[in-house]
Amino acid sequence: MNNWEYAESIESEKIVNIEKKYGHFIEGEFVSPNSKKYLDTISPSTEEVLSSISIGDEKDVDFAVNAAKEGVKQWSKTSPSERSKYLFKLARLIQERSREFAVLESLDGGKPIKESRDFDLPQVAQNFFYYAGWADKIDLAWGSGISKPYGVVGQIIPWNFPLLMLSWKVAPALATGNTVVLKPAETTPLTALLFAELCDEIGLPKGVFNLVTGDGTTGSHLVNHKDIKKIAFTGSTSVGKYIQKSLSGRDVGLTLELGGKAANIVYNDAALDEAVDGVVNGIFFNQGHVCCAGSRLLVQEDIHDVFIDKLEKRMQTLRVGNPLDKNTDIGAINSKDQLDKINELVNEGVNDGGELFQIECELPKNGFWFKPSLFTGVQANYKIATEEIFGPVLTTLTFRTPDEAVEIANNTEYGLSAGIWTEKGSKILWTADRLDAGVVWANTFNKFDPASPFGGYKESGFGREGGRHGLLSYLKASS
Amino acid sequence: MTEVKKTYKHYVDGKFVRSESGKVYAIDLKNEKYEIPLTSKKDLRDAVTSSKAGFAKWNSLTMYNKSQILYRLSEMIEGNKESYIILLQDHGLSKSEAKNDIENSINTIIWYAGLVDKWEQLTGNLNPVAGEYFNISHQEPIGVTFTLNSNSISLDDLVKSFLPALTVGCSVINFSEKNAVIALKLSEDINNSDFPAGSLNIIAGKFENIVEDVGGHVEIKHAVIYDDISKESKTIIGEKGSESVKRISFQPPTSGLSSILPFIETKTVWHPKGK
Repeated sequence: MNNWEYAESIESEKIVNIEKKYGHFIEGEFVSPNSKKYLDTISPSTEEVLSSISIGDEKDVDFAVNAAKEGVKQWSKTSPSERSKYLFKLARLIQERSREFAVLESLDGGKPIKESRDFDLPQVAQNFFYYAGWADKIDLAWGSGISKPYGVVGQIIPWNFPLLMLSWKVAPALATGNTVVLKPAETTPLTALLFAELCDEIGLPKGVFNLVTGDGTTGSHLVNHKDIKKIAFTGSTSVGKYIQKSLSGRDVGLTLELGGKAANIVYNDAALDEAVDGVVNGIFFNQGHVCCAGSRLLVQEDIHDVFIDKLEKRMQTLRVGNPLDKNTDIGAINSKDQLDKINELVNEGVNDGGELFQIECELPKNGFWFKPSLFTGVQANYKIATEEIFGPVLTTLTFRTPDEAVEIANNTEYGLSAGIWTEKGSKILWTADRLDAGVVWANTFNKFDPASPFGGYKESGFGREGGRHGLLSYLKASS
Repeated sequence: MTEVKKTYKHYVDGKFVRSESGKVYAIDLKNEKYEIPLTSKKDLRDAVTSSKAGFAKWNSLTMYNKSQILYRLSEMIEGNKESYIILLQDHGLSKSEAKNDIENSINTIIWYAGLVDKWEQLTGNLNPVAGEYFNISHQEPIGVTFTLNSNSISLDDLVKSFLPALTVGCSVINFSEKNAVIALKLSEDINNSDFPAGSLNIIAGKFENIVEDVGGHVEIKHAVIYDDISKESKTIIGEKGSESVKRISFQPPTSGLSSILPFIETKTVWHPKGK
């Protein structure tokens, strides 16, 4: 397969206006950090410094939580239909400024503009629209016994879908009458800061949405704050366990959306070309920085060779490079740390005896990059078959029977998502029933919708985000 | 003629057993004094092994079948009502209080028996996603569940500490301390109600002896505490449980739809629509 030449089509950066330095957003305004400490946020595709953000210390977090406590008074006085209208306004404003958000997301996080423009931002706006409409219908969702907000909610979100994860957390929390202190990831804070400006612009009551930027220590202060009533966290399983441990013995609500090592099961009666596309999307979407990525390809033994052959050809068509180029399929790896981790695991896979295929392509000189990669000849106990790599690396395992496919798929502590490819309906339903996974994609993969609950079984966490079930994460049962 | 006094044993895997340790603890009632097997760490592990197999069996029964088994339990209690009333009176309840409590427990069991084949119609739904996809969220039981019951002198409170979990298909290890005689008496009626072995295990002892293991045992998927326990115990369960991201619930609701919500996982399945 030859590589087609493409003319570059670069999205202009001019649309975004990035400040040199950002404070926290507390009680409706940007404030300088008590810590007086800052950290640089860079573009992972160029390593250029984009801005400096504040590192929140204990006092900063305390200011924000106190503002959110005051915010609860305001927000509970605001009628449900008024709360609804604030969220609708936010949705509209996000739509209006979505190009700006998309460029900023790709600059700060490294994801292809094709994805930030056509996936992240439309989903973000839709998510605010969706939960806006719930705000004045909470009693209808789960009955009047489950309709009380927690109060002040601390939310900690990851760097893979920065603004989308903000919307998954903030929209249902506000719709149910909670107020928020949000801590975005240290490598991707810029879209959250722009979102804070929108909250100011629509006149959201002060203290309802508060933003404290920083690193892991900031998140830890938030988790340990005495007035937090609930923590919602998306990120790694190890940090999730640390948070659960920290909250032990305290009456604080908790939902966790953690890691995954999803099986993407391809039966021999699947539509192979569609399955190939689905498998590619399953692992290479967003550079594989996806907790529900289909990172374990489980292919039925008798079609292994023909499937891998098709897969490698399809992978070779992926274009890696400048995230702002509209042709780009695979952007930059989010950070140097993440790139090191991917390299380490892939090297270990090779040393263990896995056979590595990487596409032929040139990588830019600056920035953090990793070639789309496929492992075959892998034993089930290799680290690349068990650990979350969180990068564009697919590991192949084989199976002979449906029972064996299910057994391998479930042989992991994780349980976030899974994929099934077969043209036989009864086999889809049989398999879906037996997979320990919160989301099962049959003859598709990596589909998301605000109306569709998302979240894991087992060590992939607990609680759901999205849909009617997502409301439960922010409501307390009153008996 | 000497009166024959009953020896109460644990109910594990469909059998009446003593503690492997041979240890007992005393429960002193108004008229009778009982020596109850004291759960050891090994006993808990055995109960978990049984509960794991019991989960597979219980969960594989149709909802209709599970519903009938729960209803059968209410029939068994109804038939033995008098003996429960005497036992509760021996625990200090008046005759009318005891009678009320037994009748409430029967009503509670019947309420859940009737919910078994309906709850998923209340908790699951199609999701109206923006696209040509069939998308459905339905629920599955979390699995092996440990419940510390409220330790109150009430058969009704006792059944409320395992019915929500059983209703959705979880298997249950129900643990008692002060109220163990009531729970172990109930296990005789459980045994006569066609529950698959291991689906509902009834054990007793000092909770403080096993609190770490309840948190730490990775095969206990959900630890549910209906009793009001100390902050220290809560911390131990939370810290140990966090090692496996265990589901942990403290004093969840005991009536209505909200009583079953802690026991289910939501699974969402997508499929494209096309020609």
